Amino acid sequence: MEDGEIARFENVSKIYHQGKIQVAALKDFSFKMKKGDFTVVSGPSGSGKTTLLNVLGALDVPTSGAVYLEGRNLSALDRTELSRIRRDRIGFVFQAYNLIPVLTAYENAEFVMAIQGVPRKERRQRVMAILKDIGLEGLEDRRPDELSGGQQQRVAIARAIVTNPVVVLADEPTANLDSHTADSLLEIMEVLNHQKGITFLFSTHDPRVMERAHRIIRLTDGMLMSDEEQP
Amino acid sequence: MILTMAWRNLWRRKRRTLITSSTVAIGLWVAMSFAGIADYSYTKMINTSASMGYGHVSVEPADYINSPTFNKRIADAEGLRDEIMKTEGITHASIKIIGQGMFGTATKAVGGLMLGIDPSRERPTENLFLRSIVEGTPFNNADSREVVVGKKLAEKLNLKIGKKLVYTATDATGNIVSEMARVSAIFKTGEETVDGSTILLPINQLRRTLHYGPRDATLISIFIDDQRQAPRIRTMLQKKLNPAGIDIWTWRETQHELAGTIALDRTLHNLFQLFVWLLVAAGILDAILMSVLERKREMGVMMAIGMSPGALFRLVIIESFLTALLGLGIGILINTPWYWYMSTTGIDLSSMVPEGYGAGGVLVDPVIKIRIYKESVAITTVSFFSLTLLAGLYPAFKASRVPPVESMKTS
Repeated sequence: MEDGEIARFENVSKIYHQGKIQVAALKDFSFKMKKGDFTVVSGPSGSGKTTLLNVLGALDVPTSGAVYLEGRNLSALDRTELSRIRRDRIGFVFQAYNLIPVLTAYENAEFVMAIQGVPRKERRQRVMAILKDIGLEGLEDRRPDELSGGQQQRVAIARAIVTNPVVVLADEPTANLDSHTADSLLEIMEVLNHQKGITFLFSTHDPRVMERAHRIIRLTDGMLMSDEEQP
Repeated sequence: MILTMAWRNLWRRKRRTLITSSTVAIGLWVAMSFAGIADYSYTKMINTSASMGYGHVSVEPADYINSPTFNKRIADAEGLRDEIMKTEGITHASIKIIGQGMFGTATKAVGGLMLGIDPSRERPTENLFLRSIVEGTPFNNADSREVVVGKKLAEKLNLKIGKKLVYTATDATGNIVSEMARVSAIFKTGEETVDGSTILLPINQLRRTLHYGPRDATLISIFIDDQRQAPRIRTMLQKKLNPAGIDIWTWRETQHELAGTIALDRTLHNLFQLFVWLLVAAGILDAILMSVLERKREMGVMMAIGMSPGALFRLVIIESFLTALLGLGIGILINTPWYWYMSTTGIDLSSMVPEGYGAGGVLVDPVIKIRIYKESVAITTVSFFSLTLLAGLYPAFKASRVPPVESMKTS
């Protein structure tokens, strides 16, 4: 493992079966990711962006090749270990926010820490600090259906970063948001990346996200087309 | 956190939760009612049967149970009775001579059961015949030459108060002996077989007739407050009396027919309870499974962000448990006034049950009441929670196997 490297894809292919048809979502894909990256995976629908995030997020296993997170081969881990990796090392932000509807904003944000077994007092300190940072102070007791889309996505970001994960995987995080809200959220994530060194990997074709990225990976039909650093 | 989520999840579909919990409550009500009716009626039948002669526990000459002849007897039964009465938990013990005989008048004769009792020590509370007197006054002297007969027997032999009856039996030495007695009272228990074949005689008079010693008897019937303690009392007495030459039995051994009837009824009752619980469990399974399938996406998300399969399993099991707990709460609300009414007033089925209806040789009380024992409550409650948790197992297993990626694609 190279210095600063947190994730590595080695000749990863992922093939899905849709009836008798085989669909290759990723083809012989190799890639490395370093701590503090603010990377975008871009490409048209069906190009394999979400599959890439799912495989790195220990939600899916490659058909061939290997994915390493902090030097551990994810394919070699069982269900429980994968679930622990997701809980402790990865933060997720989804397009559809995916908050737990019966929990308040505060409880959603503390959810992962609660299942980690972090003491209540520490959870409170960390969650309140993050909710303040992302502008949700005063909305802690609201349920998701009492929050706007942008507010829900902020809660999702709080949930993703509050555990200090190795990487935050954000799958089309701005797709359901208006441009003003999307900008404000991207700014929050950019600040978190700059100030706290949190690593982000986005899957998107939103130009606003791509503008802020340090690195853009372009996929087409599951194959790596380009991997460019941006100033 | 999991408990909070489980509780809130229940209230996402209020109507469904209330319907499911009410189903549980109704199941509990049915189960508790039937358990209570069974406990009450079995106890009533056992106590009635005990007061027909043998008591809850009986002390008899060895092997008398298999071959009840008058040549077998307990020597110094009086002394033994005094010893027995010192035992903790025994409310009363009475000495009896019990056995078969022939009863005749000038024109007719029938066979039946002779019961020699000591009127000074026989209390109506422990003697069904004495508390069922419908005519005359029972003898009050153990030496008198009087007899108390059943109503049906009196009709068969055309007996009236003051009339003479001759009873014949095989005595302690194996000889046929006869004695005459005047009818002083007539009883009617309502159980026709009993009323048509039983006579009560003063014990000392019967001792003389059968050539027994003045302290001999064939039976010491022992009464206790709680019939369920009979096996414990029997064991205690066996240790205490060191029973050479005597047998100690509980009502189960002396009243085979009743014990069999109760065992059969209890088995059917347990089967019925099982069906009720299976129906309740099916209702819970359906509701919880539906709720899991509806939340597949949400569970996929929880799994994706790190909730372990075990934690998801626990979440659903807790939801199932809380549904049961809610059902228990509603069940208590339903059961409390019902239990109070049924334990004090009950339901009178006299108009539907023929007079003298009996089971296991004992008259059945047509007033249905409830008295539920702690162990029945415990068994019902444990079965109830076990089945509820079992019903939650499959949905919980399904939840723990939710594939995150596919589940998050569902709407």
